[in-house]
Amino acid sequence: MTFGPFFFAAPAALLALLALPALFFLLRATPPTPQRVVFPPLRILLGIRTEEEARRRAPLWLVLLRAFAAALAILGFARPSLAPEAAAMAAGSGPTLIVMDDGWTSAPFWPMAKAAAESAIADAERAGQPVAILRTTPERTPPAAPDIDAAADARAKLSRLDPKPWRPDRKAALDRLNLAQGQFARIVWISDGVGDDGARAFAEALKLRGPVLVRSPPRTARALISGAATADGIEAQVRRAPGGPGSGAIAAETLEGRSLGAAEFRFTGGDTITARIALPPEIASRAARIRIVGETSAGATRLMPAGSGRALVGLIDQGSNSQPLLSEMHYVDRAIQPFATARRGGARQLIEQGAQALILPDASRLAAPERAAIDAWLDKGGLLVRFAGPRLANDADEPLPVRLRPGSRTLGGALAWEKPQGLQPFPADSPFFGLSAPPDVAVRRQVLSEPASEREARVWARLADGASIVTAAPRGKGLVVLYHVTAGPEWSDLALSGLYVEMLKRTLAFAGRATNGAREGDASGPFLAERLLDGFGALRAPDVDAQPIPATAFTAAAASPATPPGLYARAGGTAAAIDAARPDETLSELALPAGVARAGLDAARTRALGGGLLGFALLVLAIDLFVALALAGRLPRLPSRAPAAAAALIAAFMMAPDAHAQRARDPAADMHLAYIFTGDARADRTARAGLESLAEELRNRTAVEPGPTMGVDPARDDLSPYPILYWFAPETPTRLSDAAVANLDRYMRLGGMLFIDTRDAGRARGAGAAPGPAAIMLQGLDAPPLEIIGANHVLTRAFYLLRSFPGRYQNTRIYAETAAAAASRDGVAALLVGDGDWATAWVSDASGRPMGGIEDRQHELALRFGINLVMVALTGNYKADQVHVPALLERMGEQPERAR
Amino acid sequence: MTPRAEAESLAGFLPGVLLEARRLSAAAPGVHGRRRAGPGEAFWQFRDHRPEDGARLVDWRRSARGERLYVREREKEAAQSALFWIDPAPGFHWKSDGPWPTKARRALALSLAAGILFSRGGERIGALGMPPRAGARAVERLALDLSLHSAAHPPAPPARSAVIFASDFYAPPEEWRERLRAAAGVAATGVLLMIADPAEEDFPYRGRTQFEEPGGGAMKTLFGRAEAAQAEYAGRLAAHRAAIRTTAQAAGFVPILHRTDRSAGPALSLLMAALEERR
Repeated sequence: MTFGPFFFAAPAALLALLALPALFFLLRATPPTPQRVVFPPLRILLGIRTEEEARRRAPLWLVLLRAFAAALAILGFARPSLAPEAAAMAAGSGPTLIVMDDGWTSAPFWPMAKAAAESAIADAERAGQPVAILRTTPERTPPAAPDIDAAADARAKLSRLDPKPWRPDRKAALDRLNLAQGQFARIVWISDGVGDDGARAFAEALKLRGPVLVRSPPRTARALISGAATADGIEAQVRRAPGGPGSGAIAAETLEGRSLGAAEFRFTGGDTITARIALPPEIASRAARIRIVGETSAGATRLMPAGSGRALVGLIDQGSNSQPLLSEMHYVDRAIQPFATARRGGARQLIEQGAQALILPDASRLAAPERAAIDAWLDKGGLLVRFAGPRLANDADEPLPVRLRPGSRTLGGALAWEKPQGLQPFPADSPFFGLSAPPDVAVRRQVLSEPASEREARVWARLADGASIVTAAPRGKGLVVLYHVTAGPEWSDLALSGLYVEMLKRTLAFAGRATNGAREGDASGPFLAERLLDGFGALRAPDVDAQPIPATAFTAAAASPATPPGLYARAGGTAAAIDAARPDETLSELALPAGVARAGLDAARTRALGGGLLGFALLVLAIDLFVALALAGRLPRLPSRAPAAAAALIAAFMMAPDAHAQRARDPAADMHLAYIFTGDARADRTARAGLESLAEELRNRTAVEPGPTMGVDPARDDLSPYPILYWFAPETPTRLSDAAVANLDRYMRLGGMLFIDTRDAGRARGAGAAPGPAAIMLQGLDAPPLEIIGANHVLTRAFYLLRSFPGRYQNTRIYAETAAAAASRDGVAALLVGDGDWATAWVSDASGRPMGGIEDRQHELALRFGINLVMVALTGNYKADQVHVPALLERMGEQPERAR
Repeated sequence: MTPRAEAESLAGFLPGVLLEARRLSAAAPGVHGRRRAGPGEAFWQFRDHRPEDGARLVDWRRSARGERLYVREREKEAAQSALFWIDPAPGFHWKSDGPWPTKARRALALSLAAGILFSRGGERIGALGMPPRAGARAVERLALDLSLHSAAHPPAPPARSAVIFASDFYAPPEEWRERLRAAAGVAATGVLLMIADPAEEDFPYRGRTQFEEPGGGAMKTLFGRAEAAQAEYAGRLAAHRAAIRTTAQAAGFVPILHRTDRSAGPALSLLMAALEERR
């Protein structure tokens, strides 16, 4: 039922409003309850009449307050919701059609779009109309008419809907719309706000099928139409639809999502802008994608496949990398990283992979097939960079730019006249011209070229004494360059200087002209999807049915279901990407024909009001409660006490969650026997029952009157109120938690007595058997040294004189902390370990008979031991001096036998 | 609660009151004893036989132990005993919210303080209905008797005794007129210690209030605005007090009014003065 902009889901509840006047009079007639006080001189009060007593009615404003609360509650139970569109929905019949633009252009505001669709479904549900959802993105399957579902099914379908990484295609959508029959009661088009070729025709067609409401986002999506690494960083172009958001930022990220850098952009004039992120080239080279900050869509993401725009340089690795960080390869690899992609391998393999340059560190003869491959590649325009070294000095082998003299020249050192040499300034015809050689770069050893051969070659750099140090010579269309020193720092400091990087960079610049000697050979391999973008611009593993894309189709591929955007690779190892937004992506405003209603995505959502109303009603009732208390005089009259009361109340609430801490009794108010919760319910029950029986005997026989037996959790409870803790071994003892261990250690240090009952006296234990319960229970505890207690121990005479300590077992052993260890506590043991299963022996029934299956005598002796134990815990070594009685009597000249 | 714990809680209460009473009595102005020989029942001392005593007074039992003759002297009998009664009604064991004690507790403290003073003066003290005693243990005995066995209706006092009735005296004056007349009949006089709680005096209640009988009785009365009843209550209370006073004075008793929120010292002085006066 609708009422203005309100919709009531349970309108019958509103009938209760009719009862409000009756309620009003009922409330009016009921006086507030009085405050009740006891008053001894009541006799004197009797018979006093005051005129106010007649006024027994509740005050009017209080009644109004209560009636208001009742009205609020009734409205709340009618389950109202604010649904401005509900009225419009009421008219018409037939299904509701929801047209959903689900391309990446909708991804930035997808939750809003979904909520809008949800709201449309809810409206349809209230009107009892079925729902059809028409998605506008193209699909690989042949077009089918949208299904007409019940609202609940439509909602489930909607919840599974995610934006696609391509644009909507309204022409295709129109085809699908035409497959659907009949008129629609209402059409809600949740658009992305971006137009395309078929948008207008689609809108016209929608208009013919029913009343159309187009809901557009407040800000349309933007696209990154290009992105590449340049010499000074990363450059990207951003395009927006006319009237789209005017400023923003782009960020470059690694494949793992680590941010490398960001730059702001602002559209000035046009709708395309170039943004630049300034980054050092070696960092820029690590960028794997660029995205528009804060816009999660496939179109706002630009993928940069690894190595794109960088020379692929092959490092010929002859397989002697036992110490990878010390090898010459490592120096070269690090030096070229900022500007080239290095790949290691054999020469032939590298050439097949399309290496534009090869670097060959110190090497002796190459194998014949390798050599042949290199020669052929050089003829086609390859660049070979070689380094010298001991092996080359011994056995120089082609291809080389110059002929080398056998052996090497050593500069400096014990047996040489010459000093290590620096570099000459680079000549004007050298590619290194303009670089400055640092004075501390010294060459200690080099290979020398035959001077005659230098005429055919080019000398790019010389030492201070004129010896050539970098030479180059063409081979076919290619080039061979030789550094006359090692690639590492063995022969010179070159590899340690920044000059090395610059020199290699300029050397590898020649790789550009040597492009693709071998590349065309394997161009037929198709591209396979490695990771694909989803509509939000996140990379995911491709579906199993992802199709390979032929290389010929790949370069022209735009994002579509057949060619989904993402990272691709092909057999040769070449990585490439299809991006969601093409460089010529057009983003235009969505043009709609007249007669179509438009609304924003964020406007007019249905809001349920019932909860709020009921909550407000409760609040009013709570106020009423305080008012009633105040009227009855039950509230403290002094305002100064109110904050204190409120604070106490808040404090009480804050303490409330830890109900464990709120014991009804304060354990320190009485003396309690206590046992440790072991988690084994049976053991805990036995321990409690045993201690209860022992406490009963203590009450009967001694001045000790223990309160109820307490179970404690050493990990949480304060143990200090308990003079003795009984720890009854569970069936399977476990190690205590660290908190419990710390607490028990503290307990023993503070003078508590921990009595561990391992209950295993009857069990035989051979060598090699599992460790006893004591070993497990004591794990982690700061246990003092123990000794077996002797006939003179205070336990034998604290209350009863005992010779043995039978529990459920006759022969028991008890270990106590040694007197020496307990010296700081006057010799009173803090830890006792016994094995007699005493708790079982202590348990007695109501008439005091033993329940543990033992004889009366044994029960009695066990109880006597228990009493002695508690006495020791309470009185310490008070009775220990009785040990000396015989000696004292002897000293007094009397025979101990005669002592009475 | 074990029996012993019960006894201990009682014992924990009594020393407090006793201490309070001792403090009160120590601060009271001088009261002198009358320890001298005279006609009486209790032994006082042995003295040497004098010729004028005659053979009849010789205490042969003591004289036989030595070679001289002794005379047994008895202590001069006090003119009366001081007897105490504390109202055991639940209304008397009541207090309003505040830092003051219950009326009964204050009555006990005052009674014991007076008892200490009397006992120091050599007189016999006791709870009404119990035989009065003298000596060091008499005060403890009085404390126990007063807190354990106080009769709801006080028994008739013995002849010529001083009686201290401690109550709030909210019972109808006629009831007291009977009792006091009986006491006066045997020449017993004393003090009516009227102890009142501040709330009973000031009537601080406001708002809609229902007043109920202490001890769970069925009597109750309800006021829409309690403050409206205050003036009339004060008038009635004053009238009631006046009736009690008249009744007391007619029987030779001294009425003393004491509020529990006031210091007990002045009340004790008044009490002692009233009793000294009549001795």
